[in-house]
This record gives sequence, C-alpha cells and structure tokens, in this order.
Amino acid sequence: MICVENLTKTFTLNTRSKKDRSHKVDPRQHDGVFNALTDVSFHCERGEVLGLLGPNGAGKTTALRILSSALKPDSGAVRINEVDVVRSPLLAKQKIGFLSGKTGLYGRLTARENIEFFARLHGVNDEYLATEAETIYRNLGIVHYLDRRVEHLSTGMQQKVSIARAVIHKPDVLVLDEPTTGLDIMATEIILEFIQLMKEQGTAVIFSTHHLDEVAMLADRVTVIDQGKSAFSDSLQAFRELSADRDLRRSFMHVLNLEKAYVASI
Amino acid sequence: MWQVFNKELIELLRDTKTLFFIIALPMVVFPVLFGLIGFLGSSAALKEHQKMVRYVLVNPDASERFANTMFYHSDFEKVDLELTTEDEYIDAIKNDKADLVIVLNPDFEKHLAAGESSPWQVYYNGANVISGIGIKVKEAFEEFTTAIQDKMLAEKGFSASELLAFKDPVIFEQHDTADERESFGETLGGFIPYILIPLCLTGAMYPAIDLGAGEKERGTIETLLLTPVSRFAIVIGKFLTITATAMMTALITIFSMVFWSFIIGSLFDVSQVSNILSSVSWFDYVLMVLLLVPVSAIFSAILLAISIYASSYKEAQNYMGPLTILVIFPIIAPMLPGIKLNFAWALVPISNVALAIKELLKGTIDYNYLVPIFLSTGFFAFVSIAFCVYWFNRESVLFR
Repeated sequence: MICVENLTKTFTLNTRSKKDRSHKVDPRQHDGVFNALTDVSFHCERGEVLGLLGPNGAGKTTALRILSSALKPDSGAVRINEVDVVRSPLLAKQKIGFLSGKTGLYGRLTARENIEFFARLHGVNDEYLATEAETIYRNLGIVHYLDRRVEHLSTGMQQKVSIARAVIHKPDVLVLDEPTTGLDIMATEIILEFIQLMKEQGTAVIFSTHHLDEVAMLADRVTVIDQGKSAFSDSLQAFRELSADRDLRRSFMHVLNLEKAYVASI
Repeated sequence: MWQVFNKELIELLRDTKTLFFIIALPMVVFPVLFGLIGFLGSSAALKEHQKMVRYVLVNPDASERFANTMFYHSDFEKVDLELTTEDEYIDAIKNDKADLVIVLNPDFEKHLAAGESSPWQVYYNGANVISGIGIKVKEAFEEFTTAIQDKMLAEKGFSASELLAFKDPVIFEQHDTADERESFGETLGGFIPYILIPLCLTGAMYPAIDLGAGEKERGTIETLLLTPVSRFAIVIGKFLTITATAMMTALITIFSMVFWSFIIGSLFDVSQVSNILSSVSWFDYVLMVLLLVPVSAIFSAILLAISIYASSYKEAQNYMGPLTILVIFPIIAPMLPGIKLNFAWALVPISNVALAIKELLKGTIDYNYLVPIFLSTGFFAFVSIAFCVYWFNRESVLFR
C-alpha cells in the first residue's frame, strides 16, 4: 500500500541556526547542513496502522512531510499503490489524507465551506458531496453545526470537522502528525476512535506520536526513528518482544540504546 | 486556482479588519479625518487671523501719524511697555508680552525733509506663519507710506493721473492660458496618486499578511499544500485575491473622492472641485483604474513573497514596515516642479503611473506614453509574480 525506502533529506542551515548552540551537539549537523533523514524505511499495508515513534527532532515530521509530498527527499522513494510520490506528487496527494494536532481549518469559513473547499481541491464532484458526504457528516455527528463558522466551534467540534476534511476524498492512506498533541481527553478520544474506524474500513494509517498507550491500542506496526534513521521497523508484537516484560516504554528505550551503541561503535 | 481565489476572497470579506481597510478607511475614515483636519486647520487660521496683533512702538514721537495709524488700525492693539534695547524687544516677544515691536527712527522727520529713506526696525516671530503678522504689518506700512508718497508727489505738483503712472508705470494684465482643470491638475494632480498608490499598498498589505504568514501561523498552509493542487495555482490564487483587494481599495477611494467632492461642493457651494472632476472623462477614469492594476500587482507579489517568507504575523509586519516608506520616493516625482511625463519617466515603474494620473487629471496626457507605461509596469509586475512563484516553491521559505 505505502512503501517508504531509504529516505534521505538535508536542510541548509540559515545563519540563525548555525549560531544556535543546540545544533552543535547534534552529530547530524556539519558544514552548514543538517541531515534530517539519513536512512528511513517502513511500509504499511491496507487496513494497518503504523505508529511512528521517536524523540523530538528525530525526523518524524520530516518523514511524514515527504510521504505527503510537501517536501522532496534528496534520495529514496515513497510509493502509494505504486504511485511514486516524488515523480507524481499531484496524483499521490489525491490518495492521501492528512491530519495533525492543528486542525488546519479556516476559522472564518463555516465547517461545510471548509470541508467542501478541500473536497473540491481533491477533485470531489458536487454529486458526491450531496450524497456520500452527508454520510460522513452524520457518522461524525457534525450535521447540526455544519453551517457555523469554525472559529465559533469548540476544539472537539473543530477536530471532528478536521477529520471530515481529511477523509472527504476517501484517501487510501491517512497520515497523522502527532494528532493528539495539545488536545483534551474528549478531543483525543475522537481522534483515536476515528483511527480505529479508518483501519476497519481498510485505510492504511500512519501516525506519529509520543504516547505509547495510543500505539498499544491501535498500531499493528511500529517504526522508531532516531537521529534521522529507522532504528526499528516491524510489527507491534516484535516491538513488544524487545523487552523482557513486553513493556512498550522499555522496548522504546531499548531501541534507542541499541541505536546509540551502534553509533558509538562506528 | 479559482477555488483558492474564491475561498480566499470569501474569507477576507468576512474579516472585519479587511473590511475596515478596504471599505471604511477610504469611504468614511479618510474623508472624516481630512474634513476634521481641514476644519480644525481653517478654524485655527481664522482665529489667528482675527486675533489682534499686540504691538509696542519704540520712539513713538518720531511719527505721530504712524502712531495714530497703528492705534486706530483694527488689526493692532497697543501694549504699553518700556523697551530700550534689542534684547528687551526679543524677550518681550519670546515671553508673549507682545507680538510685534516697531522701532521708529528718531530722525524720521529729518530724513523725510531731506528726501531720504528712513530705516525703521520691525521685530516679530516669523515662525508663526499662521498668524500672518508679517502680512498685516506690510499692509499697515503700505497704507502709511502710500499716504506719505501721495503727499510728497502732490507737493511737487503732479496730477492725479501722473501720480498713478508714477507709482505704477506698468500695469500687468495677466491672461492665464491654463483652464481651471489644468491648473487644478498641476496643483492637486500630483497629490491624488500620493493618496491612491499608497492605498493600493495598504489595501494589499493586510490580506498579504493574512494569506501568507497568517496561514503559516494558523497551520492551514500545510493542509493547503497537501492538496493535489500545484503550488503555482495556490500562489496565483492568493496573488489574485490580494491584487483584487488592493484594486478594490483604490476603486472605493476614487469613488469616495468623487462622491465626497460632489457632496461637499453641493453643501458648501464650492462647485469648483466637483466641476473639475466632472470634466474628467469616464475614459480617463477607466484609464486611471487600469494604470493601478499593474501597480497593485507589483505590490501584491512583493508583499506576498515577504509574507510567505515570514514565519509569523508580527515578523511579516516588521518586514513590510520599510516598504511603506520606500514606496513614497517614486510617488514624490510628480509633485516635484518641472517633472513631466516623457519617455524616460514612462519607463520608471510607479513614478510613471503617478505622473500619468496627474496628466490625466490635468487633461494634458499624451496617450502614446500609455504604451511604455503599461509595458514597463507590466514587465515589473510579471517579474514580481515570477519571483513570488519561485519563492513559494522553495522548501526553505515555506518550512522555515
């Protein structure tokens, strides 16, 4: 379904970043460039959920931006149903839905206008909007506030609208970048239920998170990115078995320690 | 592209700040402000003009006639102060004890008898232009000296007509070939682009910030970039929205100017301005609007490029601040004396449009110059848009 192979991505540092002392301790920075990704690979099949883990600054967001074709990789490949994201970004974008903690909605437009705007950009026709979209609205329980401006909706309501916006074009792959960060319990619950629903409907879901309980609840596969590299990529079961007590936190630390030991050895 | 354009336009028109900048500011706020400033200015000038000038005469005995002229003059009020030195004269004016000190020459009568000019000293604060003290003193002196001249010449046996010829050997009868519209265009025509062009800039500024840095700050730009629409289409959609808003501001300003001119003209019986504006043809008004299109396009593209680069609303505002000052320089050209629209000026972007608007208002435009003007501004607009598209495609700009 979605296959990410050996991604690399380098950013040229600006003057401010060069002066920033925090970068000096990061071995990925040298000669005015920052190697955000050096080797990232993972794959996710239809109806699977892949949890993307890693410390802050590991390269999760960069990887997700590349696979949603917002950024171009320096090398490597991303294929969605055999469509090359780099070569055919517009075609690939039609197959992707994207959601993050920020709802990405226009506050001065109504919920309906937001959803329909993004639907039309994805080439969804009016006939579909008049029929199928109503089902999505009903399932999410947003029918009664569709014509209210988004800026007047609560965070939970906005999150539901954002979900409708992300799936209105029936994407094959759903990408979620830390979707529950900064959300309250109710809004988080909405997102998690939604991921479960998408999984059941056969969508491939990739979500980055810092919450291991969410991974335990939803993920079939786990990829850990550390220092711009895939430090682990396998099933949730295999990830659990990395620690003797099958504790995900210990497994996560284990992966990071192994990676550090590997870096130290070379 | 049109989907993006429509969305941006709807969103902007629902924003009270945008509505204020493109409608309220040119339609209501500017006329009210200008009217208020004009009213306060003219009342202050009238008040100052009606105010009596407090004067002190030093050596009043030198000319009783002058002392009487001043005493009975309606513009002057005598102040009794004993002043003897120049420092005291200056101090009296500085300390607001008097507005004017006239030092009569003690030998005035002797000078008069000998047929010599008599030097007198006059002290007043010339910085206070609005008070018109200088003019009032000059008028009082003219009245006094004319009476002396008449007496002296009559004593020498000159007739009334000879007296007149003696004082005014040549009478100039001036015939101005410029009609009312041309004179208005020359004096005020340079001022109109001075309002219109910066309004195109300010009209574009807020939407540009909102559609670039604002979207970045709210996190909506990323969602937009993930749709299957080319970045070219997104940036052009945004650019067209900003240009349309800038043009709307300019159009509403032109409409507001004409509307208020007619209202003021009819209310205060000042028909001159409205008559002149009526004499400008619709074709010329349309040309003025068309001239503002490439100017708005240049501003919109530059502002959008700046806004896309900025990572926050505040950062964008900081970058755009100097632009409002920079844009003044090319607009000053038509206000400078002796600068006229020629081929060289027709190639200078923004200045050419400012000069053309002035010439259109004067009714003296050479329409052939419109070709290089549109080519020049169109070229600069194209380059600005091309840069904006290039800029929008740079990852280092979008994901700073």
